[in-house]
Amino acid sequence: MVTATRFNAPSPLQWVSVITAVFLLLPTCYIVYMALTAAPTSWSRLWSTRIPELLWNTLSLAASVAFITLILGLSLAWIMVRYDFPGRRIWEWALVLPLAMPTYVLAYVYAHLFGMGGPAEQWWQALMGPEARLVSPQSFTGVTLIMTLDTFPFVYLLARSALLNLNVSFEEVARACGVSPWTTLRRITLPLIRPAIAAGLALVILYVISDFGAVSLLRYQTLTYAVYQQMTGRYDQTAAGILSLLLVVMATVFLVTERWFRRRSRFHQTSGRYRTSTRHRRGVLRTTLIMTYVVPVFGAAFGIPAAILIYWSIAAISQGALDARFFGFVWNSSVLSALAAGGAVLIGLPLAYLASRRPSRLNIACLQAAYAGYALPGPVAALAVLVLFTQFVPVLYGSIVVLLVAYVLHFLPLGLQSMEPALQQVTPNVEEVARTLGCTTRHILRRVTLPLIQNGFIAAWVLMFLQIMKELPATLLLRPVGFDTLAIRVWLEASEEYYQLAAPSALLIVFLSLPALMLLVSKDWRGRHQEVVT
Amino acid sequence: MASSPRALLALALVLGTLILGNASSTPAIAADKLIVYSGRAERLIKPVLDEFQSKSGVQVELLSSGTTELVNRLQAEGDHTPADVFLTNDAGSLEHARELKLLRPMNMREVERAIPSQFRAPDNSWIGLSGRFWIVVYNTNLVKPDQITSLLDLAQPQWKNKLAIPNSGSEYLQAGVSVIKATFGDERTKQFLQGLKSNAGTQVYQKSSQIVEAVAKGQVAVGLVNHYYIYRHLAAQPTAPIAALMTDQQEGGMGAIMNVAGIGVTRASKHVENAKLLIEFLVAQAGQKLFADLDKEYPLHPDVKADPALIDRQSFRAALVPLARLAELREPTLTLIEQVGLR
Repeated sequence: MVTATRFNAPSPLQWVSVITAVFLLLPTCYIVYMALTAAPTSWSRLWSTRIPELLWNTLSLAASVAFITLILGLSLAWIMVRYDFPGRRIWEWALVLPLAMPTYVLAYVYAHLFGMGGPAEQWWQALMGPEARLVSPQSFTGVTLIMTLDTFPFVYLLARSALLNLNVSFEEVARACGVSPWTTLRRITLPLIRPAIAAGLALVILYVISDFGAVSLLRYQTLTYAVYQQMTGRYDQTAAGILSLLLVVMATVFLVTERWFRRRSRFHQTSGRYRTSTRHRRGVLRTTLIMTYVVPVFGAAFGIPAAILIYWSIAAISQGALDARFFGFVWNSSVLSALAAGGAVLIGLPLAYLASRRPSRLNIACLQAAYAGYALPGPVAALAVLVLFTQFVPVLYGSIVVLLVAYVLHFLPLGLQSMEPALQQVTPNVEEVARTLGCTTRHILRRVTLPLIQNGFIAAWVLMFLQIMKELPATLLLRPVGFDTLAIRVWLEASEEYYQLAAPSALLIVFLSLPALMLLVSKDWRGRHQEVVT
Repeated sequence: MASSPRALLALALVLGTLILGNASSTPAIAADKLIVYSGRAERLIKPVLDEFQSKSGVQVELLSSGTTELVNRLQAEGDHTPADVFLTNDAGSLEHARELKLLRPMNMREVERAIPSQFRAPDNSWIGLSGRFWIVVYNTNLVKPDQITSLLDLAQPQWKNKLAIPNSGSEYLQAGVSVIKATFGDERTKQFLQGLKSNAGTQVYQKSSQIVEAVAKGQVAVGLVNHYYIYRHLAAQPTAPIAALMTDQQEGGMGAIMNVAGIGVTRASKHVENAKLLIEFLVAQAGQKLFADLDKEYPLHPDVKADPALIDRQSFRAALVPLARLAELREPTLTLIEQVGLR
């Protein structure tokens, strides 16, 4: 790593990063190849039948979910950072809990509750007359709301830590110059936290367009779902390839836009005057007002579904659902997720480090390559991984290595979303200072850089762990024989409408995610180490 | 905290060896083992396999998934497949797997005695185990059975927004439409599909159980499903207002659309003897009864009676399109389905 200061001699780290990038790109190349070698008739057939509908469904869903999560996430973050009220600390982390609730679990709980003839509708009809109808969970509105409830914590978390880390002296200066609070918010605060918001929305949108579980349970046709249907319903995979290519293009366009946003607004803390904001204490009235906003959101996103899962689980457990097999699923899920998340952090480190420290074209390209995997929908990543493994390393095929590779490929970008900013927030000056003081690179890394980025990396690991625990399509398509995970169990039972039997596995996914989430929140996301940096 | 990446690495290595060690050590003790890929839902096959395991001592490992997906997987895996047998619900898929040379011809006297020849491949590379019919489920509060005599009736405008159908990836739908296409030709099939599409609207389901549920709740009046889903639903909820309707039985009509669940041994199987044991178990009278009853299907063994709850097999006739033709009909059928834009 010492040689990283020389332009002409590529360091070993650079080699590692280039090789990683090539491997991460392979599956995407395979998809592009598959789509471009498809017969033109396949293209025209799909254009005239499926593609317009699928594109519209996918884009409109992503846009509406992003819009609502932005409002929800930002307003909740604002409330939690700027106001003080009884029970604030509890609510502060309670709002992160929906991240532990897989979207397909929310989908199946709400499909039951609000579906035709479900409890909610019965109650509603008793109240409003027999002809009254509720919004169907299978409608556009229903899918949007369910997705929103599950993804707003991405925006909330990132906006919250950005607000926490914000130096209020900027705002105070503005206020002192007579700028109104609203303008201060618009001209000072929002631009400062814009990178965090953009990153949060990026997570949300990528999540929505690559989600498979919820849309399939709710029968809402998006591109990803259509790809899965093509893959599992056809012998000929070209249509799946073509639709996948569209997804890849869509995700890439979107990622590039997000990156451009973030690049335009990059801030380093430079002065020594750093203060966090003071919280405004609020009276009973305001507290009540805040609670009438926070409680229903939490209830819908976590409280009610969790209560129902517990209720169903008790019924299932009394029927003997907790056997040795079940604990096998638990073990499989935890180990797989921990391993894959750990692997992804290790693989992502050189990529993120080089791109933020030595942003040469090559290094940035390597990092971008890692994002390719997120653009691949789960089913397609699975297909590509399957083919590549059976062609080149058949020995490993049928082991969990195949699954791990698919997970790293698909979830590394999610980790990078918080590893990268963690590295970016450390101004290179600190490392340079350390170097002038005679530290070796290894020393700098250990004494300066790693402690500073540690929280961002832990957050990355946790986020990936949580998502992998919930992953469905790749696991469905690639799991070794007899190697089921909790997510698979939920899916298998829920799609056959055995809601009760699905509940213990779903509940356990939630439980296993809780410690990781607590870690995430207690670390205050990207850390409070800015004082050190200044 | 410099130790954290290193600790992670160490953890990863330890766990990795643990798991890989496990995975790679299993084939070593694999003498009495059988790996089953099943396109049949887990709960409808596992009890039978458990019974076989306890009778034979052969350790059975099961991977349940979608039928076409498993054929694709078998093909991608080729000689490296861990699977010994492929068990599924669609003769067309089994025949397709045979054409891809994924299955192994079997010479077994027990099979030829028990299963009539029209229900298996000529070289026994797949063997039918039970019969299933694609029929109409209707809500008894909303529909009178004499309103529908043929499947084609479902395409008529009176069923607008009153019909639930499986999605186009469903093998039942593909097989059913193939039979209609072979009987009535492309034009009428296309009209039929267009009617289905417009009548179903968004009521397009991934699972037949969901269709039955929708009909039972009155969300739609009629649905297209395999017959046993109705009886399965009735077994759980005896008061549900649903019933099965056997169509196309009029003089000179198409007949009911039949398909079979069946089994084949993979070409790459390393446990052929165990696979033979399983097949013997499944085609014997006791096995046939167990296998068909679990899913309320019709046993194929002529001496085994179906569940008395079902419509008597003697009282209706099946369409004449041979099962093995389902495979060759599938691609043109899918083209039709896609032209119509069924999702």
